[in-house]
Amino acid sequence: MSNQDNGKFKYFVGINSLAELATCKDRVCVLNILGNESRSVSPVSHSYSGGNIVFGTSPGRKGEVLETPSGPIPVYNNVREGLDAGHKFNVGVVHLPPAAVRDGVYELIRVNRDIEKIIILTEKVSVHDAREIRALAQQRSVDMFGPNCLGVADAWNHVRLGGALGGDRPEESLRKGSVAIYSNSGNFTTTIASYLAAGGWGTTTSISSGKDVYICFAPPEFAHAFDNDARSKAAVMYIEPGGYYEQNLAFKKPVIACVVGRWKAKLTRAVGHAGAMGGSGDSAEAKEKWFLEALKVDGIYTPETPIVSQAGAVVTNISHIPAALTAVMKLNGVEPDFPPVGDLTLKPWFGSNQGMPVSPELDIPLVEPLQPYHDQIAELSKQIGAVFPRESMKDRSGSSIMDAKTQVTRVSGVSILDTARYPLESNYCLALVREHNDANDNALFNTAIASCIVYNGGPARHAAQAVRDAGNAPNTVLATACALVGPAHVAGTAKAVDVLLDLFGHSGLQSGEQDFDFSHIKADADQLAALTGREPDPKAQAILAGLKARGAKSVFADYLRSLPGEPTADAALAAITTTIAWSALMKKKISRNTVRNFPWYAKLFAAIVAASADGGKQEDGSFCGMAGKDLIDKWSSTEIAYLALLGEKPSPEKLFPFQVLLGLIISNGPGTISAQGAKGAVSADGPETPERVQINKAMIGFLTHTGFAHGGNGFEGIQFLIRQFGGTNLKDAGATGHGLDLVAMATKFATAFGAEKKARKGVGEGTQNIPGINHPVFKNQLVNKDPREVYLSQLFKERGEANVFHDFYSAVVQALYDTGVTANVFCVNIDAVIAALLLKLLWPRYRSGAFSESALENAAFTAFLFGRMVGCAGEIDDHINRGRNMDTRTAASQCTFVS
Amino acid sequence: MNITGMLYGAKLLKLVEFPTPKVLGPEACEHSIKELIAKCGEVFVKPVFRGGVGKKGKAGLVGRAKDLKTALKEKERLYFAEHRHGNTVAKAEGVTFEGAVPADHEVYVSIADSTRFRAPTLTITHRGGMDIEELPKDQIAEIPFDPFTGLKSFIITNALGDLKAPKEIISPLAQNLPKLWDLFHHYGMTALELNPIRMTPTDRGGLMPVACDFKCGFDRDDPRMKRLNLPNDLFALDYSDFEQEINQLRTYQGQSDVSVINPNGTILAPTFGGGANSLVTEFLGDDAIISSDFGGNPPYEKMRQVMRICLKHWLKQSNVLFIIGGKANNTDIFVTFRAMADALREYFSQHGPTPVYVVIGRGGPNLSRGLLTFKDACESLGLPYRIFGFDSAMTDVVYYAQAADRWMKSGGRETLARKLGIAG
Repeated sequence: MSNQDNGKFKYFVGINSLAELATCKDRVCVLNILGNESRSVSPVSHSYSGGNIVFGTSPGRKGEVLETPSGPIPVYNNVREGLDAGHKFNVGVVHLPPAAVRDGVYELIRVNRDIEKIIILTEKVSVHDAREIRALAQQRSVDMFGPNCLGVADAWNHVRLGGALGGDRPEESLRKGSVAIYSNSGNFTTTIASYLAAGGWGTTTSISSGKDVYICFAPPEFAHAFDNDARSKAAVMYIEPGGYYEQNLAFKKPVIACVVGRWKAKLTRAVGHAGAMGGSGDSAEAKEKWFLEALKVDGIYTPETPIVSQAGAVVTNISHIPAALTAVMKLNGVEPDFPPVGDLTLKPWFGSNQGMPVSPELDIPLVEPLQPYHDQIAELSKQIGAVFPRESMKDRSGSSIMDAKTQVTRVSGVSILDTARYPLESNYCLALVREHNDANDNALFNTAIASCIVYNGGPARHAAQAVRDAGNAPNTVLATACALVGPAHVAGTAKAVDVLLDLFGHSGLQSGEQDFDFSHIKADADQLAALTGREPDPKAQAILAGLKARGAKSVFADYLRSLPGEPTADAALAAITTTIAWSALMKKKISRNTVRNFPWYAKLFAAIVAASADGGKQEDGSFCGMAGKDLIDKWSSTEIAYLALLGEKPSPEKLFPFQVLLGLIISNGPGTISAQGAKGAVSADGPETPERVQINKAMIGFLTHTGFAHGGNGFEGIQFLIRQFGGTNLKDAGATGHGLDLVAMATKFATAFGAEKKARKGVGEGTQNIPGINHPVFKNQLVNKDPREVYLSQLFKERGEANVFHDFYSAVVQALYDTGVTANVFCVNIDAVIAALLLKLLWPRYRSGAFSESALENAAFTAFLFGRMVGCAGEIDDHINRGRNMDTRTAASQCTFVS
Repeated sequence: MNITGMLYGAKLLKLVEFPTPKVLGPEACEHSIKELIAKCGEVFVKPVFRGGVGKKGKAGLVGRAKDLKTALKEKERLYFAEHRHGNTVAKAEGVTFEGAVPADHEVYVSIADSTRFRAPTLTITHRGGMDIEELPKDQIAEIPFDPFTGLKSFIITNALGDLKAPKEIISPLAQNLPKLWDLFHHYGMTALELNPIRMTPTDRGGLMPVACDFKCGFDRDDPRMKRLNLPNDLFALDYSDFEQEINQLRTYQGQSDVSVINPNGTILAPTFGGGANSLVTEFLGDDAIISSDFGGNPPYEKMRQVMRICLKHWLKQSNVLFIIGGKANNTDIFVTFRAMADALREYFSQHGPTPVYVVIGRGGPNLSRGLLTFKDACESLGLPYRIFGFDSAMTDVVYYAQAADRWMKSGGRETLARKLGIAG
């Protein structure tokens, strides 16, 4: 018989005692069981409650299961299918999105005639739907909880229904005892249970009511069920302003009421709980008054003024609940349920004054965290570097992102406009360790790259040359070189890095360049074997000598030098890369995997640069005619890349535009084909087993996903410029006194282009675009500018560097407008800047006949690969750290057949 | 999200064909005003406020005019009128001219969800035109009704019968008031109030109810209100730039409720959970810059974006960054803390360091990992900090944050700034 029938309530209330709220007999169906929240919460509830969820629903996913420690929970498309399969349930739990909640409740009520209780966890259910849900539940005599609640839990029955009361460790907070909890806040339900334990009180039934406008299981029903529950000797109620649910309550047993929210009277709209907006009659003050009267006390309980009665107390601070309860229960002759579990005093687990004198009230000593957190923290503290949660990284990246508005990409948080100011080696390290190099890092890395190029070895040279001779484009040639840098090739460096991490990881070393006393660091025999050999290694010696010559500091190189035996080349390379990465690793900006793979990335960098030069220009001990020792001791990686591409040592004036060019093209975000190729290769190897990912294959993935349309297309701009300037006497594109009338040239071109456009239109043909002009985003203004081009123009202007090709582009967009070909002044886009930069570098060779158009095309393509290698290294590393196996695939349902 | 006044009220009531007087907006020309006066004999000139502003009449902010000159004078007086109601001050943005409606009876009607009945409830009295709170209870009828059937005529006739209302008003109200249910229930309203409804004689000798003032509240979580195509900026004044930026992230997965408490405050307290929000904001008082609830297990990107916006607007002026919540049930502490720590690092790398003391109190899933992540961030940024688990009383942690604020105010900020290598 419901309480409506016996006249106690004017509406339906099926629950007579708190003991009936969450019982061992309850069987549960969860709607949207595979949703984000439910997927993590339901397995805990299911296991805590001895396996009470009979099935869940998720449209379109029939046949799947939700794995739990107590066995899998079957999933059906809808409730009817679950019932047809023979399952029975009396409790429905709703995890649906807000717009679907009403329909879900209707489904539970109309399809299952056994339904008795429904718990709605969803937040932001509209009031409209809540009023209809309430009405339907009343009509069909169903007890409803929520919306926007966390359900109910019973510490005696060891049952949790609905949401996540007690979090992922319900036993920790929900200790068996004699106090019932009713809370408008889901979080505070658990927090209050923890606080009660600190006072020696356990719980019976805990209810998170929700605090929307509609509260379906409200204080009057709670008071009734509490009175009838013999297990509950007292209750704690946490109440916020808004609504008249607590008016005229009467209790037969002691209650501690915690009313919070006086300040909310200042608000004009709800923050947090949608229903916690009080008017004049249902403010926090009004509710305090109701409880003061109901609990027969004449003031708020505080430790200083401990006002209590046998009927209870009113507090406005949840921390006072345990003490107030103990005082009230003492008057009733009831002792706490168990000895206090911990206490609520201030206990900082972590802290630092950073060496400053702070006030005594702030300078409280740290306290060991309670178990199991103490052991967890100790274990986690042993971990070196960041650990990123794994998720699907399809079309996503933690390395780069392009701003759709400005079209400017950021790599490791740095705009490509800024990376253009940094040398290639610094940008490469930025993509991997998330920080730009300082001068010392550059010296270290340049030594490493130069040594790998000088000691490149015959097979790689010959293989690359054979592929080049077969007529392949540069990307295929470079891919061949990468193929030779396989996992076996880097096993020694990975081992050496691991040893350095094990030896120094917890030594207190913060930076790889600092002065550090490593006398206490003792390597065992295996570790020594990973770092040293018996015979001197010429490459290692060259590296260590190179570091000395450059004055580069490295704790790890110093450590290698201090060891008995001869350092290996792998150890020397590992020492360099680990020095560069150390600070970021200690700050947990990067993972241990990244550091372990860093030498691999360095070797790939060197392989790509080396293979871009003709095999005939490479000999043992030298590269492109430059002595190996000189390269190792002095050259920067950017200079070596220039040398490989253009066959000469660059002057600073020539190096800067080259550096800018490479810095600009390092990335265009994770959506580019090149990045997709790299990410796909990682995904296919399975990043969840990171040690199996072949980074060289991922680099090949990037290279094979470039081509004449992506990467080689930079040549279109060059071709355009050659057509315009081929007939001139231009010798030096950087000279200001070139003697050319750019305006006249541009006007001539514009007029001819306009005539051709008209003629094509006349015969119904489309107009050909001019490479480097116009942009789908930067258009529709009277005068359009690509902000990246504006930035770079300014940069070169500041440096006093001229570029006739760039100036010509500016003249062309103006001429197109002046001659009426375009309706407004189109922008000169970033591709034009790149073409102008590259052609300026190549122009003397082209003019002298040393470079054919085909060689120009190859050089343009290779330069693109140099730059883009940086961004793709970042994508590869990021995907290894964060991705899931095969996460870049597209579901078959989203693929279409084209006939 | 409230609307008051007849400028929009008349338009909304027209959707359900509920009678209204002729209303001219702020843009009305003199000719139209003159015509309206000629037709109605008199016009009411009322300031237009955005949001929920009541008791204009009591504040002397309703003008009456029987001629154009007076109407224009009242327009000048009220066009930018200021109205203080409780803690809020509203500034008018124009006036309406509403034709007078002759009547002997004024009626008060509202529909809202009553927490006493847990059902939509009609509140009605035939003694309208005044504050409902000032009337004796026996002159007001509060009748809950079934949302599935809606507000029906019999509910109205029964209520007015019980109130012993004049017979002549019962039938016209029973015919017209049910229309209000359609407006209330189908367009995402949480409250609808017409006061007064003036019962004006018709040509056929009967009476017709005419709504002469309008108030309604909308449910921000109900997409039905979009059906009304109300201008976007109608509610914009309710929100600061900061709140609007955060509101754009409002989805059901993860809360993102904020309200600026004191734009000159010195404690920036991202708070997790509705309960913690109530408690913490109450204890921080005016020290708090914002009141917030970011609980509900927000995903990494959302949390990082929310924090990014918080830091962008408020970190510079903050003495204390105070991240506080109870023992979370399902909010992943690692995910949320990693997102916040990343946003803090990003802020420092973009804007340079700023002196701030970090205080954290939290419990919940993945706690150890989450707290360690923030510890690392504080260490690498060189910020002083204390991190408390859930075994410290939350209010004591609030007091600790306030102590940190006091220390920063009494010279600590300058000391820390020097330590960070920047001017205070």
